Amino acid sequence: MTILSSEEAVRYSRQLILPEIGPQGQIKLKQARVLIAGMGGLGSVSAYYMAAAGIGSLRIADGDCVEAGNLNRQILHGTGDIGKPKTLSALEKLRNLNPDCDIESIQKLISAETILDMVADCTVILDGTDNLKTRKVLNRASILKGIPFIYGGVDGFTGMVSTFIPGRTPCLECLFSRDKGQNEPIGIIGPVPGVIASIQSLEAIKLILGIGGLLTNNLLVFNGMDMTFRKIEMEKNPDCPVCGLNADIGLFIQPSKEALR
Amino acid sequence: MNNTMEITVNGHKETVPGSSTLSALIHHFKEYDGDLIVEHNGRFIYPQKYADVTVREGDTIEFINPNIGG
Repeated sequence: MTILSSEEAVRYSRQLILPEIGPQGQIKLKQARVLIAGMGGLGSVSAYYMAAAGIGSLRIADGDCVEAGNLNRQILHGTGDIGKPKTLSALEKLRNLNPDCDIESIQKLISAETILDMVADCTVILDGTDNLKTRKVLNRASILKGIPFIYGGVDGFTGMVSTFIPGRTPCLECLFSRDKGQNEPIGIIGPVPGVIASIQSLEAIKLILGIGGLLTNNLLVFNGMDMTFRKIEMEKNPDCPVCGLNADIGLFIQPSKEALR
Repeated sequence: MNNTMEITVNGHKETVPGSSTLSALIHHFKEYDGDLIVEHNGRFIYPQKYADVTVREGDTIEFINPNIGG
């Protein structure tokens, strides 16, 4: 039986006093394993909050190294980390934040070939990626393995979040079935991924605890220029190539380059 | 019969041909970016439904770019 140590009771005291969490909720967080895909602008923030909240096991994945141009928004990394693998830089900060959090770092590109090992035994997948192609890989693994997938994305002063639960809600590709590709870097101001990843983190915590209302069947749209949040209702797309009526399970196993475009 | 109607598009009042379908409005506003998602009165509309959804006086439409940065 999992119990909380006296150190944990102190560390998490401000959330343990919440009736919605309490010791039983804290144990659920401790027993959870969360995959954070991408240690960039979104992953920096969600990884901090997952480790801080007492998620027992974190798996962090990214194939890139830290660059100077990342530092306006990717707050896990500092000037001294430039050139270092992002997962190593992240691991150092997260271990310092919470040594009790079991962190597994995977310095690999997230692809159809690597994703199934990455999601194995995970309770939830947190999206910290920066392109639609990789998100489609996460989405398909989510559906194949029945693991909830919390999408977050940003662009300039705006951002979006939705929580996809396989079999119960639309999936990412119900929404974003098309993708013309991405040629230019996307402009991003740091607090926007901060807002979006904070919301993703709260979704993950509530999902693990089984409390509250989730952003399922809804796309939350944040506009940081006029400071508005809106929810757009959505339902499953019967024509979705991944979870629709005529979905091809073969797509999951080895998504072709064409299918992922 | 009134041949025009007023709707709200991306937060702005617009006068458009009456009883237009979403397909017609996408053409009217030259929103040809295939990645755009479309919200009609707070609901997400899938591309295969654009030709079937008729927009009425006072409706709200948002053309939204998917956010895929991170």
